[in-house]
Amino acid sequence: MSRILVDNLVVTYPLFNRAKSSLDTQTAPLDAGEDFGGAHKRLVRDRRGYVTGVRALDGVSFRVEEGERIGLVGANGSGKTTLLQVLAGIYLPAQGRVRVEGRTTSLVNINLGMSSEATGNKNITLRGLASGRTRSEIEARRTEIAAFAGLGEFIDLPVSTYSAGMRMRLNFAIATAFEPEVLILDEWLSAGDAKFRKAAAKRMVEFVGQAGILILASHSASLLQENCTRGLWLDDGQLRFDGPIEEVLKAYEQDGNRLVGAAARA
Amino acid sequence: MTPTTKIYDPHAARGVSGFLSDLWVGLSMVELWRAFAWDEIQHRYRRSALGISWIVLSFLMFVAGVSFFFAGFSGRGVESFVAYVAIGYAAFIFITGNFVDGCQVFTSSSVWIKAVSLPYSVHVYRSLFRSLLTFFLQMVVVIPILVWAGIRPGAVTLLFVPAVLVYLLNAVAVQYLLGLVAARFQDIGHLVTSIVRLMIFVTPILWVREGLEGARALAADLNPLTHYVEIFRAPLLGEMPRSTSWLVVVVLTVAVWGVVAMVAAAFRRRLPYWL
Repeated sequence: MSRILVDNLVVTYPLFNRAKSSLDTQTAPLDAGEDFGGAHKRLVRDRRGYVTGVRALDGVSFRVEEGERIGLVGANGSGKTTLLQVLAGIYLPAQGRVRVEGRTTSLVNINLGMSSEATGNKNITLRGLASGRTRSEIEARRTEIAAFAGLGEFIDLPVSTYSAGMRMRLNFAIATAFEPEVLILDEWLSAGDAKFRKAAAKRMVEFVGQAGILILASHSASLLQENCTRGLWLDDGQLRFDGPIEEVLKAYEQDGNRLVGAAARA
Repeated sequence: MTPTTKIYDPHAARGVSGFLSDLWVGLSMVELWRAFAWDEIQHRYRRSALGISWIVLSFLMFVAGVSFFFAGFSGRGVESFVAYVAIGYAAFIFITGNFVDGCQVFTSSSVWIKAVSLPYSVHVYRSLFRSLLTFFLQMVVVIPILVWAGIRPGAVTLLFVPAVLVYLLNAVAVQYLLGLVAARFQDIGHLVTSIVRLMIFVTPILWVREGLEGARALAADLNPLTHYVEIFRAPLLGEMPRSTSWLVVVVLTVAVWGVVAMVAAAFRRRLPYWL
């Protein structure tokens, strides 16, 4: 049984080395913000005009039911990764409420959640224990994880010796091996080669079939089409479009073309 | 496996009860923090030929060196002074180690804190387990020193057990507190290191408090570490610790827990934003 409810979610990153923006928002031409995707609206200022934080998500609401596979799209800095981190329980909302039903595994950054000094095998143990598995459950999965990651003898070498692709495969293999009910994946999956992407897609379908939820953020339209049923488009920290993945991708692409066209005309 | 439901809102896991459940759930994940600690110990000593024996070796070097130079000034017999230094130094290293480690207990775990939603106390126990190992190895060296110094265990010796329990209790609170504060205010780490460096000279480790008079005796007693070391060292030397020392330690322990409970209750869940 898995379900996600997100209600009016607001996330603000605090900024401690207080900066005063060199762009004078009082006198700058009104359209100045448009070129930066309205970025200035997302800076949180105190009364003296110092920037004290960045609003990464601003009033996002949606719900996801069991078996749905969500593709998250949006420009750089639109809040995709932040949303994933909140769903994973890392960052606490500043306002709003998030309810996640089901055991959750998130892979947001391939450099996180691994001890780079430890071997691949040791990391399987650490991550297994961290997701609340017992030693015997971990041992039962170890061979399968190693096989899927395809690391061969590298499994006994420190993770710091791995290539980015090897880290990614190991990370993905561990994350999916312990049968999470909610799987949260960020952009990096699209960095895999064709063979890995195929294997990963197969594994994701299998796992969502077992009554799970997949949330996948990516800039790769083909990856999203292959793996997702529904799309969410984040724009400047707000949810702009929620619908079937094909429609969301189409609208997102058209918007991109419009911006490029406008820039060309200017 | 039962389904789990998590609710995240600005008030989630706030308050003292949230902090206590963080401590408790973290403690129950003993396999995880033990594995983290072993992993850290292994990679710290992996490429040195003597490995973990360095803990014992550097401890012996310190005790031998200090005893050689300072035994004459102490007013104790040489054997008794060696035991005094060995026990006091082990206790001192453990206590101040918690301050230094505490400042980086969360910052050094940011790779995990930002990846997996775990009780933050897991990282505190990881750090504490590692310093306990050092403490334990040093105490193994202390036992033959006690025998050699002719100190025989008696009823009073058993008083070291509550002292160790109090040490652990303080260590958890201090590491959790400093971990949070140092993650938010990065100057704290530098400040703590500077103070700790000074403490070895102003705490009765290299010198003996008994026999001091007036202002210097008072200065020694105003230093909380004097009392923390005393409640552990005195029983092992077969002496009764002063009740003043126990009183100071109990009061400070309660105070530290009060402060950490308040700070953690209010700010604990801001930690990922600070890393």
